[in-house]
Amino acid sequence: MGAGFRVPLRVPAAFLAPALLLLAVFRLTPIGIAAGGSLTGTRLTGETVFVGLANFEALAADPSFWRSVEVTLLFNLVVNPLQIVCALGLALLVLRPTRFVPLFRAAFLTPMTVSIALTAVLWAILLEPTSGPVNGLLRALGLPPQPFFRSEHQALPALVAVASWKGVGYWMIFLLAGLLTIPRELYEAAALDGAGPLQRFWRITLPLMRRPLAFVLVADTAANFLLFAPVYVITHGGPNGATSLLMFEAYQAAFAYLDHGRSLALSTVILLILGLIAAAELRLFRERR
Amino acid sequence: MHRLDRRSTLGLGLAAATALARPARSQAAGLRVVWMGWPEGQVKPLMDSFRAAHPSIALQVETIPFVQIFQTLEVRLQARTSDPDIFICDSPLTASYAVRGHLLDLTPHLRAERFAKAALDAASWQGKLYSAPFGSSMQVLFYNKALLRAAGIAPPEPDPARRWTWEQLVDAAARLTDPAKGQWGFSFEQQERPYQLLPLGQSLGGVALSPDGLRATGFIDGPAFVEAYTFMQRLYTERKVSPPGLFDPNLPVEQFGNGRIAFLLAGTFNATVLADKYKAIELGVAPHPYFAAGKPVTPTGAWHIGVNPRTRQKEAALAFIDHFMSDELQIQWFKLRPYPPVLRAVWEKEAKAFDTDMWRIARHELDHTAVPRPATPGFREYEDVLRVALRDITTGADVKATLGAAAQKIDRELQKYR
Repeated sequence: MGAGFRVPLRVPAAFLAPALLLLAVFRLTPIGIAAGGSLTGTRLTGETVFVGLANFEALAADPSFWRSVEVTLLFNLVVNPLQIVCALGLALLVLRPTRFVPLFRAAFLTPMTVSIALTAVLWAILLEPTSGPVNGLLRALGLPPQPFFRSEHQALPALVAVASWKGVGYWMIFLLAGLLTIPRELYEAAALDGAGPLQRFWRITLPLMRRPLAFVLVADTAANFLLFAPVYVITHGGPNGATSLLMFEAYQAAFAYLDHGRSLALSTVILLILGLIAAAELRLFRERR
Repeated sequence: MHRLDRRSTLGLGLAAATALARPARSQAAGLRVVWMGWPEGQVKPLMDSFRAAHPSIALQVETIPFVQIFQTLEVRLQARTSDPDIFICDSPLTASYAVRGHLLDLTPHLRAERFAKAALDAASWQGKLYSAPFGSSMQVLFYNKALLRAAGIAPPEPDPARRWTWEQLVDAAARLTDPAKGQWGFSFEQQERPYQLLPLGQSLGGVALSPDGLRATGFIDGPAFVEAYTFMQRLYTERKVSPPGLFDPNLPVEQFGNGRIAFLLAGTFNATVLADKYKAIELGVAPHPYFAAGKPVTPTGAWHIGVNPRTRQKEAALAFIDHFMSDELQIQWFKLRPYPPVLRAVWEKEAKAFDTDMWRIARHELDHTAVPRPATPGFREYEDVLRVALRDITTGADVKATLGAAAQKIDRELQKYR
């Protein structure tokens, strides 16, 4: 495909230029500034001084940093696969335009319209251990009330749940769009050949969803690595460091501990980890020819 | 229908870009004030009073809720611009802001002899006055007379010499707690804030920070604080007399006002809110409790006003300070929100208002038991680390280990001030 249809390079370049320019100004430049800033420290009176790798050395020697790395990786290891499985499940459920399906599609999308900060406030109220409605429901069902965000063991799972409530509907749209591009004939042909629903899913749907899944996985990972608001609003990294995501640590370093170098070093570490994971994910979903 | 050709698209784009790039002309240069998010009725009258006295100075007042005020100020001040011109300044943060060049030296401007000594101390850093005292604070034990009566509990007396011990208070609170009715015996107003919770350890002889203000290890993680915070933890985990997790200070006050909490250890400034908003409640007042094995200690210090040294409207900003430091305005403020006044004149001119149990207690405490928060340029970091540790302790974290880790973290952050 594509042979015989040639356009001069400047045409796509011109179309891409505005997006690339914005990307450079709003993404790449701040990344560059952060990476450079991670090698500096700020004097109390505001002047910046070059400190080499001192910020990174301080991080490496700090047990609370390693705890954060551990929490962040654990969180992402659970939340990303979970969100994608749920999003794909929902997308499959609402794929066929039968009655009420538009209603469900809209319902699954609603959390997307709620800002993440508001989501956090909302769930902080819903999951409030003493007077929250969720525990009220549990009590009404004769089940013991749960501490949720106030327990060292439940806080991170609760965070996963809140992030997923917000995220799953959003990622569902991309996967739904992907599913809709799969030609119906393939399924019909497979059905004629005697393939059951599970076989059709494994042999047709999944292989053809490789690209949308790769995109969603990488984008979702990035979004979850940068998750900050619920931690800030609900747990402040606690109880006992159980939700101290790296992004929150970076915020704390800059605005509570007034240590910009440390904060930028943390951001750089997040970027590096994220880069490595995204590369691995893309490799995993690379089309085999 | 018109078709958009390339030229007209370009033209439209340019027009839009020009319109966006032009600065909004309506932004009148006013004094930008960042203020605490007190109820509007406690903010607007003061600002209106300034506007009436200085009609030529425009004011842009931004009120920020208590749980966000410190972070907000940090973001704004660290940008090192002229915004805000004036900001509300928690008194123990005076040194922190001064060291980093966020406060104008007000020494030549304030007449020191007008202020109470404790307020001047809290406003000073290296011998200069960096913040203008606007209020002090004192905590008293509010209680719901009707609930105590119904439970047959003799209320604590207002006489500081006969104040209750913590042990007495918790015993009474246990009798007043009824999970079935959602009723709790006792709550702190600020369940996670060092302001309210440092006096627990100090009552047992603990010292919150090294005398030079730069080391926490061996102080905040010492035996007195471990014992005090173990006691505090048990209020939530074992005795279960306190509602856990009400970290926003408005919440315990609200629940007390609604009759769901019997004893509330809270600031005098709540008196007007409780009287105006929760009229049904029969309010009793007693002094701050203490540990039988220790001595009475109470918290103090409160809000000051700071001027950004980068302000381009120094004259107007100083006019604001002058107005807010006047006897009249501080009397008005005291009536709106009863913090212990910082101006000697207010205590004298309003002598009648202080002839109540609450104010007799508050005055006694200010003279005898009040201990300000530790003086350190790193108070911002100190408070934030400790706050998270106290939060964790209320949820059941190991007290000694948590305080030890917090002390190390504080020391790490205080290093930059050495």
